[in-house]
Amino acid sequence: MADQSTSNTQPTEYKSESKMKHIVSFVAMILLTVAAFVLVLRDVVPVAWVLPLMLGFAVIQVLLQLFTFMHLDQKGSLYYILFIAFGVMVAVISAAGIIFMP
Amino acid sequence: MGTLLIMIVFGLFFAAIFTGGYNNTLIQRARKTTAWDWLTSVDHKKIGVMYFMAGIFYFVVGGLEALFMRYQLLVPGNDAFVGRTFNELLTMHGTTMIFFAAMPLIFGLINVVMPLQIGARDVAFPFLNSLGFWLFFFGALLTNMGWIFGGAPDAGWTSYVQLALNEYSPGPGVDYYVLGLQIAGAGTTMSGINFLVTILNMRTKGMSLLRMPMFTWTSLITSVLIIFAMPPLTIALLLLMMDRLFGANFFDHVMGGSAVLWEHLFWIFGHPEVYIVVLPAFGIMSDIFSTFSKKKLFGYNSMVFATSLIGFLGFMVWVHHMFTVGLGPVSNSIFAIATMLIAIPTGIKVFNWLFTMWGGELTFPVAMKWAIGFIPTFVIGGMTGIMLAAPPADFQYQDSYFVVAHFHYVLIGGTVFALLAGAYYWWPKMFGKMLSERLGNWHFWLFFIGFHLTFFPQHFLGLFGMPRRVFTYEPNVGLEYINQVSTFGAILMGIGTIIFAWNMIQSFRSKKIAAADPWDGRSLEWATETPVPFYNFAQLPEVRGVDAFWLEKQAGNKQMTPAEPLGKIHMPSGSHIPFLMSIALFVGGWGLIARSWQIGVMGLLAFGVTMFMRSFDRDHGFYVKPKELLDKEAKS
Repeated sequence: MADQSTSNTQPTEYKSESKMKHIVSFVAMILLTVAAFVLVLRDVVPVAWVLPLMLGFAVIQVLLQLFTFMHLDQKGSLYYILFIAFGVMVAVISAAGIIFMP
Repeated sequence: MGTLLIMIVFGLFFAAIFTGGYNNTLIQRARKTTAWDWLTSVDHKKIGVMYFMAGIFYFVVGGLEALFMRYQLLVPGNDAFVGRTFNELLTMHGTTMIFFAAMPLIFGLINVVMPLQIGARDVAFPFLNSLGFWLFFFGALLTNMGWIFGGAPDAGWTSYVQLALNEYSPGPGVDYYVLGLQIAGAGTTMSGINFLVTILNMRTKGMSLLRMPMFTWTSLITSVLIIFAMPPLTIALLLLMMDRLFGANFFDHVMGGSAVLWEHLFWIFGHPEVYIVVLPAFGIMSDIFSTFSKKKLFGYNSMVFATSLIGFLGFMVWVHHMFTVGLGPVSNSIFAIATMLIAIPTGIKVFNWLFTMWGGELTFPVAMKWAIGFIPTFVIGGMTGIMLAAPPADFQYQDSYFVVAHFHYVLIGGTVFALLAGAYYWWPKMFGKMLSERLGNWHFWLFFIGFHLTFFPQHFLGLFGMPRRVFTYEPNVGLEYINQVSTFGAILMGIGTIIFAWNMIQSFRSKKIAAADPWDGRSLEWATETPVPFYNFAQLPEVRGVDAFWLEKQAGNKQMTPAEPLGKIHMPSGSHIPFLMSIALFVGGWGLIARSWQIGVMGLLAFGVTMFMRSFDRDHGFYVKPKELLDKEAKS
């Protein structure tokens, strides 16, 4: 029954979060995506910079996603850490596999 | 322009009907029908039943495709299904059996049983559950539309590129595969998230993680695998869609793309996928062994550990599907060793099942027969798996019938046997009726013997050099006799399935309501009434240990001790939006397949509109009053 009672208290928790934070990070994520396309379509930076810059944008987007929309900052839980760590591990193994075994 | 106009008119027409603006009495009358009730249901038991029945349907479709292939291979030089037709049959057999039969059957059982086992009233996200089902349903429908319109996919269920690109697979065939699976895959991911959150957050009082029944544990690990394994497939299908529909060159090596990239992405998904379908099977078997041995599952903690370890290692072995690609001896050795490691947790499981039975008070209803048949069958499949995991040997087995025999031994001997066992075991909870044991015995023996007759000889077909996915063979090279035995076995499996269908029909027609606890069960699902009320538990039960219901029965209690006073119950209300969303994606997907950009964009826009409708849907469900619960109890 604990679940139902906590779900009743949750809306107040959401309200304490500012709308601005969501809108700002939403717009930032769209701009980062547009920036990635611009980098590839137009010669704004030297070719060698394109990949590192795009990776940087991607990392920022992932962090924005995790913290503003998936509430990674709200409360510490072992589950979050466990699953994020597992996800990172799977992604790193897969990416390394694809890159180093072409 | 004409199609656009027609589509707009149709869209407005349907929108009018569904919003009730056109004729309110029509929608009022529709809301009272049974069909509407099922279409809009967010009840996990109803969605589970729909998943299960859809899975049975596609199991029969995939089985027919297999029978056609076996008929073609009955004699050398047969000309019943040749060339492209045979390629379509083998592609759709694999795709259907994995994505549209095994997965929905598993999701059906998880949906019905898992919330009952953890003592929850519904899943965490009932709306998402419904959406997941309808996306799967329309995705599967879209993939199979190829049979009627323009040719089914014919590039193998793995759909390897170069072959699957426009140049070598012209026509819409592979497009049906790409878009149909993309839509169904979205539904699968949603269900995975839903099950994970449900198990982690909705357990009743006292149901700690290490008190959960084994089926719930394997569902948890399977959900994790789904969440991490489906994204690579989504990306792979997206890239293939870009290549085929919009002229991109991700996979075309002439234009600087990479064909191996597809294989990597597909198998990074594909290997965890086989654990997604086999882990719940292990869970079903564990529950059945422990119930029909009247013993606690032997080595419960090691079982949990083994399941987690299989899930963990499952992401590090995908290259064993690609040994002959030429990735080099270092890669091949690393992945060979990782693959062989998986035999250790699997072995732990097999011995735990054997020790569960040892010294138990054994009974052998049909469910237990499937479980017992599963052990030797699965062990044979696992053994050939170890043989295939050695790269030098794999170079010989590669693309031969030996591989076909291996994966049918694990997928049928593991997953299908377990699903059928689960069907017999949980049928009274799912449908409130019993399946006939007499017909069940016929089903089991025909299917079991038929299975071994079909696939055991195929090991030798492979060793004698018959390649897989080829529609004919030469006479007088020693392959005729084995192929005939194999086809004969397939027919026995077909007859077994017909008997199962007859058994289901008989059970639906019978008026006799099953007992609430027909097997003297151990976990919480048997503590509910039959038929299960839509809120599952009037009062959520308190759990005191592993095998919660068994503990209470041993303590002399007829029912679980309630963990809460009788109070009002919050339940979600049904919604027709998931159905509309899925239809919108279905139309959009079909538009893209037909290369009609207007219809494709319109489908996607309609999808956006339905998402908008959902965002501003202010329905927070309803409450069941304690008085209604008491009235109902007084009636029964």
